Amino acid sequence: MKQLTLADEIVVLMLRDDTGEIEPARADCAHIAIAGGILMELSLLGRIDTDLSSLFIIDRNPVGDEFLDSVLREIAAEPMKRPSAWWIEQYVRHNGDVSRTVLRRLVEAGILRAEDRQFLWVFSRRAYPKNSGREEREAKARLMSVIFDDALPTPRDSLLLSLAEATGVLEGMLSSEEMRKASKRIADVLALEEISRAVRVVEANRRKALAAPVDWYVGMPRRTHD
Amino acid sequence: MNCRKFYTEHENASLEGFELEVRSEAADGVAIYRISGRLDAEAAASQGLQSAVGSAINGGNPRIIFDMRGVTLITSAGLRAVLVTAKQAAAANGGLAIFGVQSAVDEVFEISGLKQFISIALDEAEARSKLGA
Repeated sequence: MKQLTLADEIVVLMLRDDTGEIEPARADCAHIAIAGGILMELSLLGRIDTDLSSLFIIDRNPVGDEFLDSVLREIAAEPMKRPSAWWIEQYVRHNGDVSRTVLRRLVEAGILRAEDRQFLWVFSRRAYPKNSGREEREAKARLMSVIFDDALPTPRDSLLLSLAEATGVLEGMLSSEEMRKASKRIADVLALEEISRAVRVVEANRRKALAAPVDWYVGMPRRTHD
Repeated sequence: MNCRKFYTEHENASLEGFELEVRSEAADGVAIYRISGRLDAEAAASQGLQSAVGSAINGGNPRIIFDMRGVTLITSAGLRAVLVTAKQAAAANGGLAIFGVQSAVDEVFEISGLKQFISIALDEAEARSKLGA
């Protein structure tokens, strides 16, 4: 594996050091972040571009990474121009547990190792502890530099910041006081990239859907009238 | 007044509907790029905007002005090219100022918050002033 993709980096950042897993409560936002990360990578590689209303192909040539190329083919095959948020939701809906795919890539690259761990003496679960942890440290160092430096961030780093914010990684890195002091800077950087904004929209919609009141008797979401 | 002025005209990049024209000039230590058309990924790459600006910065002209009176549309990749230019210029102790932003482009600048990072001027004189020229 060459340079880690943004999808790879956010998964590395989301893995807990103690369990070697992504927190189950964060699994859904991991899928959104991975989908967003793939689009971001294709954009940085000059294969897609976006405007305020849609995402579109600018170069159909494969990038040489099957994970990214499969999404590129899907975008190229779609006859209508769709917004970035639509593509993120499509990917999440149709690709199941994509975090497993990314974890496998990272194991093959030697960044993680796969371990089967037992819990409650009977059940086993696969964990993915980091080998050296170097990639995580580098990603965190870049994020801290973006947050606490006044300089313009690189496009890659501002995109990674948006994934870290959407997945709660940022909250885990900073104290509440640091978050408060850096909130304007973070907000300014998050707004720069269109796909970053789309990730936030999809994640916000996911949280809103989870919070929707449910009629437990019937088991259906309760209709609310505005 | 010691000033050096030259004009470099680039050919239109007409690639299946993507058109960008860039004219560059340098005067009083400021490199000005007069841009017209769509500023998107293909146009910026085909016109060599980024490499031309990089050459100016590396050649001792880190104060850059983008005249965007003729820019009709800007995509994410075009915006990224602007940001990278600003970053490179700032790193060389110069800077980037933009003037002549049209409404469609201004909408993108507003939503992306670009104005937090880059000086937007009303006209060329103000752009020069913002760069200390």
